[in-house]
Amino acid sequence: MMLLLLPLIAIAQELKLGEPLTLSEATKVSEINNHPENYFGKRVMIEGLVINVCAARGCWMDIASDVPFEKIQVKVVDGEIVFPLEAKGKTARVEGIAEKMQLSKEQAVEMAKHQAMEAGGTFDPATVTGPVTFLRLRGLGAVIQ
Amino acid sequence: MGWRRLNHLLHRDIGYLCIGLTIIYAVSGLVVNHTSHGFNPSYTIEKTIAEVTPPEKGSQPDVAYVARVLSELGETAPLKNAAMLAPGVLRIFVEGNTLDVTLNTGQVSLEKVKRRPFLYEMNLLHLNKAKGLWTWLADIYAVALFLLALTGMLMIRGKSKWRGVILTGIGIVGPILYLML
Repeated sequence: MMLLLLPLIAIAQELKLGEPLTLSEATKVSEINNHPENYFGKRVMIEGLVINVCAARGCWMDIASDVPFEKIQVKVVDGEIVFPLEAKGKTARVEGIAEKMQLSKEQAVEMAKHQAMEAGGTFDPATVTGPVTFLRLRGLGAVIQ
Repeated sequence: MGWRRLNHLLHRDIGYLCIGLTIIYAVSGLVVNHTSHGFNPSYTIEKTIAEVTPPEKGSQPDVAYVARVLSELGETAPLKNAAMLAPGVLRIFVEGNTLDVTLNTGQVSLEKVKRRPFLYEMNLLHLNKAKGLWTWLADIYAVALFLLALTGMLMIRGKSKWRGVILTGIGIVGPILYLML
């Protein structure tokens, strides 16, 4: 069974993960980042370059915005969708629900620590000065090309 | 054929059918149990630092500069993409490697990612990353394991009856005790 599966993986050009995409029109990441209040709780589809993928479990990926140096994070339930590390540098269309994340200072410290460990770097708690609010997409389905 | 004989045959044949997947699930289970920030069970991730010639002052990195970086590092894998990650940081994606170039110093952080042979495929099956048809096959395997346990319990009899009862009891009580502690 395993040997049979290998060629199937190799020839897959387009990787479909999670639920099938239902929206035909992509919303610009910059539009969501600039007007998050218009999108909270809504289902949107974004398209962009995958610039980072969770190295431990494949449970999130960062999609570059259409505006330089900006991005949006797509988070999925662990195990429900697993983003492959090979997705980095590829284009993805992702559908999900826009979420407002409000973290207390303690939660923000934990998250920054977690991210630093994933990146293999060191972490200075002093870099987190207070509560953090940010936007992310709860990923439901994705197509990686 | 008596029911005991039928039970024995079922236990034996289901057991044979389960050998392959049990080995896959056991090996994958061991490595997946130890997933951490420092250990990815499906990939090896190697991080290194290198240096390249920075672009000339005032010039923006372009396709030619990306090619020069890859050439200086001897990186021959196919180029996937390149993007400015932050002002002064160029990220280059090639197959199996991500390079972050700090443009004013020429320092490069490389992250080489490689699938772990066999473990990648075993984890793909065990964690049901493939979904679809594999979900059904994995469900059949789960039912087969249940039948294996059931037919196994029905085999407890004769001289070794108490040994069977005690060992089965340990297997059932172990996880319950852990949850209660």
